Amino acid sequence: MSTGDQQHARRHPVAALIIAAGLAALAGVMLWDSARLADMGGYSGVGPASVPRVVAFCILGLSIWTVIEGFRGDFRHPEHQRVSPVLWVIGGLAAQLLLLHPAGFSIATGFLFAMVARAFGKRNLAMTLPIGIALSFVVWVIFSQLLMLHLPAGPLERLFFPGG
Amino acid sequence: MGAFDFLLQGLATASEPMMLLYALIGVTLGTAVGVLPGIGPALTVALLLPVTYRLDPAGSLIMFAGIYYGGMYGGSTTSILLNTPGESASIITALEGNKMARKGRGGPALATAAIGSFVAGLIATLMLAFLAPWIVKVALVFGPREYFALMVLAFVTVSAAFGDSALRGLTSLFIGLALACIGIDQLSGQARLAFGVPELLDGIEVTTMAVAMFAVGEVLYVAGKSGQEDDKVEAVKGSVWMNRQDWARSWKPWLRGTAIGFPIGAMPAGGAEIGTFLSYATEKKLSKHPEEFGEGAIEGVAGPEAANNASAAGTLVPLLTLGLPTTATAAIMLAGFQQFGLQPGPLLFATNPTLVWGLIASLLIANAMLLVLNLPLIGLWVKLLTIPRPWLYAGILLFATLGTIGANPSTFELGMLLAFGVVGYVMRLYGYPIAPLVVGLILGPMAEQQLRRALSISQGDWFTLVQSPVAAVLLLIALLALVVPLIMRARGKGQVLSQLAADED
Amino acid sequence: MKRFVLAGLFASAMAVPAFADYTIIAPANPGGGWDQTARTMQTVMQEDGISGSVQVQNVPGAGGTIGLAQFASQNKGNADALIVGGYVMVGAILTNNSPVSLADVTPIARLTGEYEAIVVPAASEIQDMQGLVAALKENPGAVSWAGGSAGGTDHIAVGMIAKAAGVDPTTINYIAYSGGGEALAAILGNQVTAGVSSLGEFQPQIEAGTLRLLAVSSPERLEGVDAPTLKEAGLDIDLQNWRMVAAGPDLSDEQKAKIQADIETMVKSENWQKQLADKGWMDTYLSGAEFDAQLAEDTAATEAILKEIGLVK
Repeated sequence: MSTGDQQHARRHPVAALIIAAGLAALAGVMLWDSARLADMGGYSGVGPASVPRVVAFCILGLSIWTVIEGFRGDFRHPEHQRVSPVLWVIGGLAAQLLLLHPAGFSIATGFLFAMVARAFGKRNLAMTLPIGIALSFVVWVIFSQLLMLHLPAGPLERLFFPGG
Repeated sequence: MGAFDFLLQGLATASEPMMLLYALIGVTLGTAVGVLPGIGPALTVALLLPVTYRLDPAGSLIMFAGIYYGGMYGGSTTSILLNTPGESASIITALEGNKMARKGRGGPALATAAIGSFVAGLIATLMLAFLAPWIVKVALVFGPREYFALMVLAFVTVSAAFGDSALRGLTSLFIGLALACIGIDQLSGQARLAFGVPELLDGIEVTTMAVAMFAVGEVLYVAGKSGQEDDKVEAVKGSVWMNRQDWARSWKPWLRGTAIGFPIGAMPAGGAEIGTFLSYATEKKLSKHPEEFGEGAIEGVAGPEAANNASAAGTLVPLLTLGLPTTATAAIMLAGFQQFGLQPGPLLFATNPTLVWGLIASLLIANAMLLVLNLPLIGLWVKLLTIPRPWLYAGILLFATLGTIGANPSTFELGMLLAFGVVGYVMRLYGYPIAPLVVGLILGPMAEQQLRRALSISQGDWFTLVQSPVAAVLLLIALLALVVPLIMRARGKGQVLSQLAADED
Repeated sequence: MKRFVLAGLFASAMAVPAFADYTIIAPANPGGGWDQTARTMQTVMQEDGISGSVQVQNVPGAGGTIGLAQFASQNKGNADALIVGGYVMVGAILTNNSPVSLADVTPIARLTGEYEAIVVPAASEIQDMQGLVAALKENPGAVSWAGGSAGGTDHIAVGMIAKAAGVDPTTINYIAYSGGGEALAAILGNQVTAGVSSLGEFQPQIEAGTLRLLAVSSPERLEGVDAPTLKEAGLDIDLQNWRMVAAGPDLSDEQKAKIQADIETMVKSENWQKQLADKGWMDTYLSGAEFDAQLAEDTAATEAILKEIGLVK
């Protein structure tokens, strides 16, 4: 290993161990769930529990393989990531999810829009939020009124299209 | 030449200016709704079908054909530009198409998708017109064991999309297979891995997963990297149009994609995705530039897009010849035909030739109209990428969630979108490829069900799987595809293989 | 004329319509029977002015139980929301242990129905229902049946046939397919012994001579259908795959009466009758106390047979 590569290929078994543990947990859940299923293979001999079991054992194998590769240095430090923009995007999606039914499509999606824009450097929410809501409202009108798609309505939508 | 006369007559009717306008409206509406990620052709057609009710039969038919092809095509635009597949059949398109778009070659990618769709639609519609009765006979030979063999072949060949690390590719695939187990087992009615959550009973929606993994995961990843230099998206580099080399590299994949997509679309349990997988794998094997795959190879867009559209025409084979609606889209079409008092069935070509040939003529016209609409728009579409990044990425997520909400406005679905978006982000961080997961989610249930059906019919006799000639041949091809590269690699540590590849031309 | 149609099309697209008077939930994906029922209701109610604007929303999943659960929780006392459902839902509620049942909504009326048909491929050696029953008695595993999803009407029909024929219903070799089309392809392709589905799905094939119709599940012979009933074949079965419409829970009597009146107007309209004829659906309209009694009877019978097949514990 040349010195130039060292930074890039530094051994990082911790990540591999965490991933392997996650895979093992997934396999465990699948085995536990398939144990609960009645064997209804009928004439095929392959029941509803068979395939999950096979998949679970393969995942266990992959988990072990991951550990081995981890110690052999296959798992590198991921490229440097900034945490706050990622959290802003996740927050935006969460805000949309929570606001969708109480506040309607436009307001909820407006929040998503503004928060994602913020993650990418447009920090002024006082400007991006109204833009987001207005844009989402236009989208709502086009798709729900012209193209008959069912999109949740809230106070803003009812203000312009009363009756619902 | 009765058939030909009917077709000419249909074409004459469908080329009246008024009819062309209907076709244009249909194509525009279909593309507008079909372009939404998460809203596939089935929902597009269902939403827009009532619009056609208000017209006379000829106008209704042509607008309907436009909506159908528009809805099928719409998904590729977002796949290429935004890495957000509109439906499951355009997932593969995102792999190479988006890489091309990021290198400033979005124009050629969109063009090869549009022209490939047109070429495939044209050839496939003509095959539908003249070969349907024969093709359907072949399609009916496919029973559970033949389908199972086809799925095995798809699994093996699609591993071409797995990237360099076998461990990571397989892990991604098996996570997909694990997620595919969630929901009610179709053959026994038992709920698996649902943990009493009603929303999980129906399993995980492939489109939700694809949008989450590709679009949301990607936005998170780019957000985390923002501020660094190396991830600039170049909107346009070189010509927006396809150059000579692009044409040279595209026309064969178009034809091969059509040849793969059409018969698989015609099979009652084939599905458009499998055609795109097989086409992608074929192109990667046959390409003179295999090293470009994963970096934006135009063949990887041209082939699957052609396959996707050819299978759309293929779906009509069992519908028109047998009255078999093999996809949700076809079932909705059936309802659409019934408004003219038309019962699709084995006698349709004989009892209702005017309407059938009118439909085929309409499909041809709509197909051409799609090209007319989309080629000029390409310049406009690629400009999308010049939008400043905060607005662009905010817009991508607005769009991605719009599709998911439109298809099913439940907070649970949005929660899955978010959760799997985070999974997609983590997978990107550690270099896991995304495509195998989605492939596993699509192919897993199909393979499992067909295997169990085959074994059930044979009452548990596993030899049934190789006792049909078709199944045996497919499995043999799969075995060769798996073993030959391994032997080659073991013998010459890859030298033989790369030499072979170099010798090919 | 064409220009007028086009102008109308644009006008209706441009003039932003008022909010939906009725929202109809189709608890299935687009394309299925429930979706088509909901969209046909939409068309008729709008065109006949029963409701100014009707929106259809698909909430697919788990035999309609997901849509039903969501509908019941979101529409308490809401007289503007309707849900389409049917016999398949009765079975799905039982097999999925659904916490929400049809007792948690307000069933309004049965709208349409289809009888089940039992067919074999034209090339099959089996000529009639007696032949099929004999084969079933000889070796139940060797008789594979293709039909719709596990626990659905088709599965229940096969279970009933086995039971009536004196064969243990748990031994049937039932192959579940997701859609009618796929099952039909398997039958046409000679992959299975017999097929069970709604008569309408098989009719064109029967007329073309590619499938042989052995029996139908109606109580009496159907007009224009050249096949005996299951009862004539010595199997005491009367099974109808019906579709219904229901409203939200906790409605006042006036609200319920208004919806019933609207539905009745729709069902009696020429437009609805024409749509049914086009689609080959039978009008089996039934409402009020009669429908409630029928529903209770069907639920009890279904639960019994699902237990015997082994799908419900």
